[in-house]
Amino acid sequence: MLDDGSSIFSIIALMVLAIFQMVTLLSKGRVASPPSFRTLVVFFLAMALSEWISFSLALWLLALLSFRALREYLSLVDIRLEDRWGILASYLSIPCMFYLIHIEWYGFFIIAIPVYAFLLVPFFVALGGRSQGIVFSVGVLDFGLFFFVFCVGHIAYLLFYSARITLLMIVAITCAGWIHKALKSRPLRLKFLLQLAVVFPLCTGLASWTAIPMGHSAILGVLIPFSVCLGRFTLKELEEDLGIRADRLQPGRGRTIEGLKSYLYTAPIVFHYLRWFLKWGDL
Amino acid sequence: MDALRTALHLFFIRPLLHLLFGVNVVGRENLVGLDRFILAANHNSHLDIFLLYSALPPCRIARTHPVAAIDYFSKPPWLFKAVQFLLQPVWIDREENGIAGIKEIQRRIDDGRSIIIFPEGTRGAAGELEEFRGGVGLIASRNPDVPVVPVYLEGPERAFPKVAPFPLPLWNHITIGPPQRLRGKSRDISARLHAHLEALAEEERAYRQRRMPEPHQPFVVAVIGIDGSGKSTLSRRLAGCFEGDSCFIGDRLELLKDGEPCAAQPLIANEVRKWVGRQAKSAKNLAHYKIPKLAELLLRDRLLSDVYRWYRPDRVFMDGSPLLNMTGWAILYHEDAFNEEVCARAMDILTGNHVRGKRDPIFKQFPELLTLRKLNLTHLHLPDAVIFLDVDPAICVERVTSRGEAVQAHENIEKLTKLGKAYDLVCDVVEKNRPVLRLTGEKSIEQLSQEAVAFIGSAKDETD
Repeated sequence: MLDDGSSIFSIIALMVLAIFQMVTLLSKGRVASPPSFRTLVVFFLAMALSEWISFSLALWLLALLSFRALREYLSLVDIRLEDRWGILASYLSIPCMFYLIHIEWYGFFIIAIPVYAFLLVPFFVALGGRSQGIVFSVGVLDFGLFFFVFCVGHIAYLLFYSARITLLMIVAITCAGWIHKALKSRPLRLKFLLQLAVVFPLCTGLASWTAIPMGHSAILGVLIPFSVCLGRFTLKELEEDLGIRADRLQPGRGRTIEGLKSYLYTAPIVFHYLRWFLKWGDL
Repeated sequence: MDALRTALHLFFIRPLLHLLFGVNVVGRENLVGLDRFILAANHNSHLDIFLLYSALPPCRIARTHPVAAIDYFSKPPWLFKAVQFLLQPVWIDREENGIAGIKEIQRRIDDGRSIIIFPEGTRGAAGELEEFRGGVGLIASRNPDVPVVPVYLEGPERAFPKVAPFPLPLWNHITIGPPQRLRGKSRDISARLHAHLEALAEEERAYRQRRMPEPHQPFVVAVIGIDGSGKSTLSRRLAGCFEGDSCFIGDRLELLKDGEPCAAQPLIANEVRKWVGRQAKSAKNLAHYKIPKLAELLLRDRLLSDVYRWYRPDRVFMDGSPLLNMTGWAILYHEDAFNEEVCARAMDILTGNHVRGKRDPIFKQFPELLTLRKLNLTHLHLPDAVIFLDVDPAICVERVTSRGEAVQAHENIEKLTKLGKAYDLVCDVVEKNRPVLRLTGEKSIEQLSQEAVAFIGSAKDETD
């Protein structure tokens, strides 16, 4: 909406990913694709679709990503038999949520999960009719909804405003995430500084292309590494409890969540920062 | 027809399963190169059969047939037709004996086709492997050259369990084990196949997140008997006989680690209990004894919860059990009204297991029970094992007087005989759901504790 003209950068990124995939296939296992590869393909595909074909296609592609992440999360956690209505309600919240983005109703989008879903899901869980363990079930479902529907929904809403800013954010987060992963056993401070060294020039250098004022670009350049560090630190602990380990990733056992790890914290932070300070829409 | 069937499986059912549920197949290479096989899988859900088909190589789909019960799928007719077209199952009539079904399976195997069989027979409890029926062993023993492939399905029991009205999108993991060429008797084959599936299941369970560790429940042993029967001596001694953390709750509270006493954090409930206990002991007559003793017993039960919470011992040895003592004393006070049934009912109410209406006649008989329930004090613990020391009251009185302390109001032969009988009745009731050991007092303390240790060991095995 804010961009002037479509850019071909997302298509170039897609081509790079396609070449990388070819290399992976031809190398017969010597080069392995990182776990965030599929997620990245989905993001760039969504950006290319929204710029060149239609935004709603991209939106429902991201809804599918959100569904896959939530499904994987719910397959990993320990659920009770009585929670089935609650789980059904959480799945149904995905189309509702993305439909709200589709009709551009920001006011309802922002409260749909924290107000209505968080009130309705406990009700549906209580319908199951067994009180033992209900507190944990509600907590588990609310957490999943918040991260895998609400936070992913923010990426989609950012894409609605500007594909360029989304592209910048995704690239920056991906770089920061890779650095974080490469420096596995180093102190958090070093990781942060190195991420800053990559992301800060990226944001400020592309300031004129994304049409974010220079000052805000600089702040974003600090905010993104900071929130990536925060998010990856938090989700590492959560993944450990869920039994996701990088050495035994399988489809359905942490591949999607591992790929989304860096984006979950950063996307809402960047989105709300920009929406507030650049005064998109009425607040 | 076969082409259409294969196409339906490949281009409709398989993508649908992948999109909605998510299917992860591990060990697909185990099926490559087998021209016919018997697939044995665990059965938890209606999704199972379609998941298994989605793991097959495309060329095998039209030449593989499940074994299904005809009475389950015969109605409505469209369902029967659909199943018949998609899967071409070997129909088994559960009303008759299985000879016809076995013959049909044999015919298809001889025809070069493969068979999918659920050896559990029916959809079992979620996540558990039931006993196998004989059919799979029989077929495998008759066809020693056809490999049996064990397959473990993890996920369908969550995605679409037996009792659920609708399926939910959750991942399914299909683990195909290495093909087995099994020879021998059909029963041995079944057992070995069960072991193989159990091994695959173990591997899959390692991936599961567990919400909460199992609550640490100590094993509670109560030694009951009349005053002076040596129950506190015995229970204190038993606490020292076991490895790990044991706790002794008697007049004193002791925590023992591997038989050695160790320091423990003082508990307020214990101090209060001691004070109340002294009040009860100095009572002049039975009427004055009743209330402090009741309070002491309630506090002792409360102490048990505190011990669970703060010390987390492996075993708790109690000198008397609040619940059983209270019931025994109730019998002493209302001797005429008690029988086994009333006793069981009173214990039900005291443990909070059974909620009875206010109008229940038992409350008219024993208004104390109603009072206790109103005060929400009916959550007493039933010990996991009970040891009853049946000692002649005359000896007990002798022992009590030789202690040199003030003799309590009820400590005479007449009252203690009644109390002993009351405990006997209580033990009869408890025996129905907890192990009880009755010991007579003639033996020495060493013999008694030896017997008790053996009993506790067997009782614990039984509960586990």
